[in-house]
Amino acid sequence: MQEIIININNVSKTYRGNAAPAVSNFSIDVVQGEIFGLLGPNGAGKSTLLNILSGLLPFDTGKISICGRKLPQQLNEIKPLIGVVPQEIALYPSMTAVENLKVFGGFYGLRKKELNRRIDSLIAYFGLAQSKNRWIKTYSGGMKRRINLIAGLLHQPTILFLDEPTVSVDVQSKTLILDNLKEINAQGTTIIYTSHFMEEAEMLCSRVAFIDEGKLLCKGTPNDLIQDSGCENLEALYLKLTGKTLRD
Amino acid sequence: MRKFITLLYKDYLLLIRDMAGLGLMFLMPVALVFLMTFLQNDILGRINETEISVLMLNMDKDELGNSIEKQIADSESFTLTKTEDDENELRLAVARGDYMIGIVIPANISDSIRVNAERSVLRGFSGGIHKNIDSLTIRIYLDPTLKSSFRSTLMSTMKEYTAKTERDFLLQGLITELNKRIPFMLGTIELEGSQVDFDVQYAFKDENAVVPNATQHNVPAWTLFAIFFITLSLSVGLINERKEGSFKRLLTMPCSYFQYLLSKGTIFLMVCLLQFALIFSLGIYLFPHIGLPQLILGKNAWLLLPMCVCSSLAAIGFGIFIGKITTDHQQAAVLAALSVVIFAAIGGIWVPIFTMPEIMKTISQISPLNWGLNGFYDILIRNGNFIDILPECVYSLGFAIICMVIALTYHRTKKL
Repeated sequence: MQEIIININNVSKTYRGNAAPAVSNFSIDVVQGEIFGLLGPNGAGKSTLLNILSGLLPFDTGKISICGRKLPQQLNEIKPLIGVVPQEIALYPSMTAVENLKVFGGFYGLRKKELNRRIDSLIAYFGLAQSKNRWIKTYSGGMKRRINLIAGLLHQPTILFLDEPTVSVDVQSKTLILDNLKEINAQGTTIIYTSHFMEEAEMLCSRVAFIDEGKLLCKGTPNDLIQDSGCENLEALYLKLTGKTLRD
Repeated sequence: MRKFITLLYKDYLLLIRDMAGLGLMFLMPVALVFLMTFLQNDILGRINETEISVLMLNMDKDELGNSIEKQIADSESFTLTKTEDDENELRLAVARGDYMIGIVIPANISDSIRVNAERSVLRGFSGGIHKNIDSLTIRIYLDPTLKSSFRSTLMSTMKEYTAKTERDFLLQGLITELNKRIPFMLGTIELEGSQVDFDVQYAFKDENAVVPNATQHNVPAWTLFAIFFITLSLSVGLINERKEGSFKRLLTMPCSYFQYLLSKGTIFLMVCLLQFALIFSLGIYLFPHIGLPQLILGKNAWLLLPMCVCSSLAAIGFGIFIGKITTDHQQAAVLAALSVVIFAAIGGIWVPIFTMPEIMKTISQISPLNWGLNGFYDILIRNGNFIDILPECVYSLGFAIICMVIALTYHRTKKL
């Protein structure tokens, strides 16, 4: 039996000043070793949920456990086990790629030699060896995305939270990122992933959950969901579930 | 410890890559301390050293006229030029700016005073009606740009010698009248020389204390201004990290907000100490070579360090507070720059506190720059000890703690 690595039980979160909850009575389990996709339109509550899981936001009600540890009580024990890749390029523009990675990798107690080895290895793995000593502000969007991803992988986390990692990148960078994510997952890292790109999710995720207005709409493997709904693909199901109304 | 070293490494890199911020923190205060010391030293020099040109038309040629003429000629404050032209020419010469002061001593003024004195004596002895002669006027023309302090100096000199002449004539008249009425002759009655000398000194607790000058004020004042100007770089840096998302990433890592702030505080404390060392070194080693007074540290120079650290912590706390409560870097930059300039203005950095009106003196006490400046004055000018600077240190540390507590409390409610 597969081990549940993340348990989200009836979690709700309402931002101060807002009447409607950003996340409402949300419950899912994520099992070890899977790539779990959180799919939904803008403002559905995906990023809020990832921020809650990574300890950045408190939640109002419900229970969350990650790797058997309770959130937020055991946040300090959870932090070394997770890697977070935010949607924005969370890097220092006036530092080189290596300097950025030394900073972000420096919090996990790795020896200097080991940290440098991992930096070199991941930079080569993501095809950035030639430009590793250039300032981030001189990088293209795709290069920045790759370094943004590496910064969350340096400590070889048990769980990786990815918030739309392929947004605003070219097809080449997107393919490289997705291929590498599959490989990282194959090495044992559980990935929680949010995206707007249904095709990408269908190809990458072992299971997905649709979320809108903070509520869980449905969950399952992409194939099961497509078959059960009678839709042609995940994108058709997505539109069926969330409608065609524009979201802000 | 390794996490803290990583944070220090990060903050060090961010600092040295911010050339504009470094310029603002180091070049601007150095330029200001030079400029302001030169300006103030020049002004003070002119006040102390420049002689004021006086054009005098002495039509009296008698005791009062000659006495005033001699005193002005002997004074170090005035350069006397005598003229035989008429009063109108003298007035025009002052109006043209050829002279700062014009003095017209009318003909026979000494005689008139003498007659008045004799009549006063007669009134005293016989009680008869002996009216004074009207309108004894010495006319003075002033250049409109003349400082009021010089006018006061001139007027006190003139009044002193007019009063002395009047007194001498009165005494002379009294002796003459007495000699008519008593069986023996009185000789001249006169006090030889000045009976009372004035010894004017600055009041210090300690005889080794230093006389204040432009350097003793400007070096600590602009050092404090520089120290507090780090709030701009610090707060904008905090906002940038938040906007770029790197702060969010750090919070998901095994790194607490307190450690994050501690690292920022440590790096910026180093910056403040470097600013202090740089500007004070200029005052001590460079100023004497460029014609400015040397900075004298006083006998308790070691106290400068704790005072500097306390002021620096106040500035760091304030920077963190602004960085936390503002939402974008324009807002932070404007608030930091404006508040530091206001704190400096009311704190006596530009204009000494003693020249301010009472209400401003009261308001100045809320400025952290004022606490720092008072502390530096205690050490540099009054040769104060640790007890003397303790209140300023406590105020500065208290301010730093309040700012930090607000920032930490705000972080609890709004992390990102």
